[in-house]
Amino acid sequence: MDFEKIETEVKIHVQKWVGEAQLLIQRTSPAQLYVAVAVVVFTMLLLILIKLFKRKTSNTIVLTGLSGSGKTILFYQLRDGSSHLGTVTSMEPNEGTFVLHSETTKKGKIKPVHIVDVPGHSRLRAKLDEFLPQAAGVVFVVDAVEFLPNCRAASEYLYEVLTAASVVKRKIPLLILCNKVDKVTAHTKDFIRKQLEKEIDKLRTSRTAVSEADVTDEYTLGTPGEAFAFSQCHNKVVIGEASGLTGEISQLEDFIRNLVKP
Amino acid sequence: MLEQLLIFTRGGLILWTCRELGNALRGSPIETLIRSCLLEERSGSASYSYDAPGAAYTLKWSFHNELGLVFVAVYQRILHLLYVDDLLEMVKDEFSKIYEPTRMVYNDFDDTFQQLKKEAEDLAEKMKKSKQPVKAINANLGKKQGLGQKGGVDGGNQKKSGDDGNGDKDGNKTKSYVYENGHTNGEHVSNGEVTVASGVNGKENRSSNTGAFDKDKLQKMRGGKGGKKTNTAAVSKAPKEELKKKPRVWNDSPPVSKLDFTDPVSENGTDNVPVVAMEHGESMMDREEIISSDSDSDEEEELGKNAKIETKKKGWFSTMFNSIAGKASLDKTDLEPALKALKDRLMTKNVAEEIAEKLCESVAASLEGKKLASFTRISSTVQAAMEEALVRILTPRRSIDIMRDVHAAKDQGKPYVVVFVGVNGVGKSTNLAKVAYWLLQHKVSVMMAACDTFRSGAVEQLRTHARRLQIPIFEKGYEKDPAIVAKEAVQEATRNGSDVVLVDTAGRMQDNEPLMRALSKLIYVNSPDLILFVGEALVGNDAVDQLSKFNQKLADLSPSPNPRLIDGILLTKFDTIDDKVGAALSMVYISGSPVMFVGCGQSYTDLKKLNVKSIVKTLLK
Repeated sequence: MDFEKIETEVKIHVQKWVGEAQLLIQRTSPAQLYVAVAVVVFTMLLLILIKLFKRKTSNTIVLTGLSGSGKTILFYQLRDGSSHLGTVTSMEPNEGTFVLHSETTKKGKIKPVHIVDVPGHSRLRAKLDEFLPQAAGVVFVVDAVEFLPNCRAASEYLYEVLTAASVVKRKIPLLILCNKVDKVTAHTKDFIRKQLEKEIDKLRTSRTAVSEADVTDEYTLGTPGEAFAFSQCHNKVVIGEASGLTGEISQLEDFIRNLVKP
Repeated sequence: MLEQLLIFTRGGLILWTCRELGNALRGSPIETLIRSCLLEERSGSASYSYDAPGAAYTLKWSFHNELGLVFVAVYQRILHLLYVDDLLEMVKDEFSKIYEPTRMVYNDFDDTFQQLKKEAEDLAEKMKKSKQPVKAINANLGKKQGLGQKGGVDGGNQKKSGDDGNGDKDGNKTKSYVYENGHTNGEHVSNGEVTVASGVNGKENRSSNTGAFDKDKLQKMRGGKGGKKTNTAAVSKAPKEELKKKPRVWNDSPPVSKLDFTDPVSENGTDNVPVVAMEHGESMMDREEIISSDSDSDEEEELGKNAKIETKKKGWFSTMFNSIAGKASLDKTDLEPALKALKDRLMTKNVAEEIAEKLCESVAASLEGKKLASFTRISSTVQAAMEEALVRILTPRRSIDIMRDVHAAKDQGKPYVVVFVGVNGVGKSTNLAKVAYWLLQHKVSVMMAACDTFRSGAVEQLRTHARRLQIPIFEKGYEKDPAIVAKEAVQEATRNGSDVVLVDTAGRMQDNEPLMRALSKLIYVNSPDLILFVGEALVGNDAVDQLSKFNQKLADLSPSPNPRLIDGILLTKFDTIDDKVGAALSMVYISGSPVMFVGCGQSYTDLKKLNVKSIVKTLLK
């Protein structure tokens, strides 16, 4: 009952205002009206033009890789400088905008970096597509210790990232980070690079066999006819090493700093 | 005693673990819990059991959805700790008071935890003492007929629902069976149902126990009628064995020649059958699916209509107010109507009832306690959560790139063996031919193996397909052991250099023990690279039963310690169901294996990949 009363009151008020507005419009002369409208339109156009031309450089870095490769640990190392009590399989992405922990001691104004740690579990792959379009750089984390059993899965995932539309169009630089190098049985980054190139080469042939129209492949990788190498990619691909648990992440930080200028 | 209690964020960072209970857990129970339960949308179930060499744990969990925290308690399975649920709730409340997103170290929580643990243990002690008199009352009730007895069994089962203690269970059952002696058969059936309908744990234990009681004890205790149930089981076994024996001669007429119409294979036989080659065009596997982008407007209209119908006269203003201001936090009663509507919608799309129920529970578990954002309705939040859950389930857990596997096997010099299994009449032979056609189009040499040696005409059917596609076929006629035929087929393929061997098997019902045994023998002997379960999209609730029984039988009846289970699903007759696509969801949920192919017609080109987004859209339309 109250609500109905309020409804009717509101309706009456609105009608009054509409009437007053109409009177006002009739009173002002046509010239003034035109000038007013023109000013509004002009300012709107100006704002739109400014927005279009001022391209904001993104400061987003995406951490991705297979489940268990150490992305969440790296995220917390970058942010806090320690891995706290350890991690479990992530069910959701970790996002944060912060100044890298190693740089908090530096003086002066440092631009904060927006880092996103996307879960690596295969069921959560769709999350990656949400963050790739706005990324300024992608870090693909590989477990250097358990590399060979997961080589195929890792290279398939890497292949998907390298052939994703946003990565290709915007030539997003990619860092392949071999994690867990503090362990004795970790493979070297050259070995990992060669294995990945071999696997992606094989994937290229079998994938092009499957699709003229495979939904995720919008692009063929490398130069056809030659064995695949990361140097053939249009976007810059570099390889680095790191150890999440001990905090040896200097190569990662350099990569980030090169992309997100302070 | 509690082995471990962990608190971690949904993003993966461990915030707190109990330091006193410092024993390292054997294996990795938490990781397995996340991968096999929470990410598989089974977070609605009560607990999860984990087995590692040297340890058997039960895990229980609780979510705090607003802060994005997960609380997990791990304890040994043989202990029946009754206070774990309460402890988890109390820990959740206490921790959410001190939690801050920026704080990573929570050492002061140790003392609070000790207190809470003591409280919970005392509570459990009190409850145990108060349960003793209840037990005696139930025993008295049991003496009455019918309902009273059922109540006793129910009460007993509910008490023990959290644990798997075998000793207690047996005691309970003998009590109930003694009482049943004077009652009718109906009681026995209902008793079986009650025990089967219990929780995730010990399901196997319970069913095997009822099985034992079914045959042995009941045959002693019951007279004729009870025996009938077991007799039918025995009778169905007998004729299968008789088939192996010689056919009986009823009179003195000379023995009829064996009914075997297998034509001797002739290479240049009467070939009126035209050769197909590539004339049918491109297989639909390679064609991109054009998803029609319906506007969301008609969805909104429907929701709006429903909302209006549900609300009363002055309702519209309060719903508008709530959706603008945002409610305090969601609890079960708010979610119920929206979830119920969603569950009914899923069931009209032919999703099995059990699966729809479990999914709704899982979504409820993930939304409880969350704060509604402003300008959103409850129904839209629930819909979004359900959509995400569906996409997660239908996204394959591992790669389904068969071409890559075929090439890998080729490099190793072995043929890639695919076995098609399923119940009768789902389309195994037809879809086998479609898969062969697709593989041929990608320059892979295929060989068929006719291991369906039971159904009349099965070998001829495959022979016709092979002739049309111009590929070799390995067959040994009828009445042969399929496992041996398959083995010889693989050897032949290695000899003549075929890349892929497609093995066709006879259709069999999931309850048929001897046939399932034969199937697991075939799989054990040949260790195929891919076991494809062929299921039709028309199936309803039976999909759950088929797949779970197939997997169970393959696991139980296999002589090897690591039995092979179903690796992938081939969904057939997809063109006949319009938008009732729920069978795909039921099958994927219950087995965890991805849908690798979808058969959508009866000609060679009608084979395509599953499009997750379009299925989810159709399910929630």
